[in-house]
Amino acid sequence: MSHGKNERMFVRLTKSQRIQHVILFVSTGLLILTGFMLMGERWVIDMFGSAGNEIFYWRGIVHRIAGVAVTLVCLYHLGYVVVQEEGRSWIKDMLPRLSDATHASQNVSYMLGFREARPKMERFTYIEKVEYFSVYFGMFIVIVTGTMMWTEQYWPKFWLDVADAFHLGEATLAALAIIIGHIFSVHYNPHVYPMNKAFIDGKISESMMKEEHGLWYERELERLAAEEAEAASEGNNNA
Amino acid sequence: MKTKHTARNITVALFLLIAFFILFIPTTVLAVDDENCLMCHKYAGLGRYAKSEEQKAIKRIFYVNEELFKASYHGKLRCKSCHNGVEEIPHTDVTNVDCATDCHLNDPSTGRDFSHKPIVDDLKKSAHGEDGAKSENIEDLPKCKDCHSNKPYQISVDKDLKSMQFIKVCNECHESEEWTNRFYKHMFYRAQTRRPSKQVVALCSKCHADKEKMERHDLEVVVGFKDTFHGKAIVYGDEDVANCLNCHASYQMGFSPHRITSHTESSSPVHPNNKLENCSQAGCHANAQEAFAKKGKVHPSNVVVERVDEGGITISEEEQEFQRWVLDMIALFYKILIIAVVGGLGFHRLADLYATHRERKIALRAAKLGRHSS
Repeated sequence: MSHGKNERMFVRLTKSQRIQHVILFVSTGLLILTGFMLMGERWVIDMFGSAGNEIFYWRGIVHRIAGVAVTLVCLYHLGYVVVQEEGRSWIKDMLPRLSDATHASQNVSYMLGFREARPKMERFTYIEKVEYFSVYFGMFIVIVTGTMMWTEQYWPKFWLDVADAFHLGEATLAALAIIIGHIFSVHYNPHVYPMNKAFIDGKISESMMKEEHGLWYERELERLAAEEAEAASEGNNNA
Repeated sequence: MKTKHTARNITVALFLLIAFFILFIPTTVLAVDDENCLMCHKYAGLGRYAKSEEQKAIKRIFYVNEELFKASYHGKLRCKSCHNGVEEIPHTDVTNVDCATDCHLNDPSTGRDFSHKPIVDDLKKSAHGEDGAKSENIEDLPKCKDCHSNKPYQISVDKDLKSMQFIKVCNECHESEEWTNRFYKHMFYRAQTRRPSKQVVALCSKCHADKEKMERHDLEVVVGFKDTFHGKAIVYGDEDVANCLNCHASYQMGFSPHRITSHTESSSPVHPNNKLENCSQAGCHANAQEAFAKKGKVHPSNVVVERVDEGGITISEEEQEFQRWVLDMIALFYKILIIAVVGGLGFHRLADLYATHRERKIALRAAKLGRHSS
């Protein structure tokens, strides 16, 4: 794929969405790092030497701060998709539809070479929807079990063992899904290598939009045309 | 005549030389070693090969490094205070060291001879002693030396300004600097450090993680502790989390490692009735609830052990099995989920790369055709 330098750009992520994304990925990164520090084998931990104790102390503090940050951003997002106009349009486009299954099968057969072209997809592709709702599922589990382990003295020991097992399982799943599913396919992707800059500037190029979100592209063009027409008619009226 | 003179001079010189050695060189040795043990034991090569109980050759070293010994906990004691017999050479009359003997050192708190006998008696009655142990295999039980060795004090007075000032104050009244140094080290070694948690875990694991040994005594092998939060924190060097002794022989609850008892004894801090108090020790889980302390195992093991105790069983065998089954199921659930998700995403990613590769080829061909036609 080649991108024209002066290509037309569309808005992919608004400022609020980008800020939510940054908080989410910075704190998730810290959580994965500081969490898996507990899973290290002895020889790995021994490499910290005499600094180990200090590192262990800060590991706990950072994990809790990041945990609180991630919980807050999740709660904010829940409010965002209910209350704000922008959020409501986001969740409306994100809800799974029957067409997602069709798109999935069509896209897979295209990638394997059984079809001539990619299906025209909506604002959010089936894989993006799966990823998005996985975060709901995962966050629910890690936040609940994490809170339980933070208030450990109030829970039966066995419940804590269960919480621990879920926390670890979910964290492992999330870490792998983020690396393989998200970083590899959204960022480390030949179309956008070395990264998809949409998370920084919030923009998507026309060519990429056409290829990956064909239906949304058509919808956006219509909307923009309608807006222009409205503006023009308003201008005429004023004149 | 002249030769006779020379011979006499040489004799005198030799005499003086020997006298010099006797008078001056050994003075430092003689000062502590009035039993003259170091005459032989100062030689680093002193030792022999012997047979162990398992008929294996072992090296026995009889060398004593005077400097290290003097700096050690027992550095002020005479050799014969601990090594009884030793009247004949070679020492065929020597008996094993018994820590319960009076060591002819004045105990300033009582004025009597000091002895470790009370501790040895405690140990005898504990789970680790001949009288307290439930097992018949008493030869496996730990002896004093299995846990304790006569190490030099790990406290450096000369590098620490505060310590140096402290000792200067002592020396205003007390004459022997060597004594104040030793006394200071003794007090502050006790005050500052107990055995680091890493060492405690390693020490207990020597036996309690030994499957064969534990089977001989019908005891649970401790395998799960290293994976617990406490276990990991200890590996990082955190001294604030519980090691084996903090729960099984907590000083706060009036225990000492020497009085350790089986968890089935009603007096044990890890007995169901005492667990809540044990977990909520100062500095630990202050607001611990009943269920936190009771329902579950702190360090899971592979074996389900029958728990017989007077105060009722906290977790029955079935419950233990059920708990393990639930945890295994959660792990299995995530294993399957991870394989499915990672496999699915990986497949999708590879397929996408394959598609991109095809698109590139087509684009290249189109570009070539374009060049040809123009």
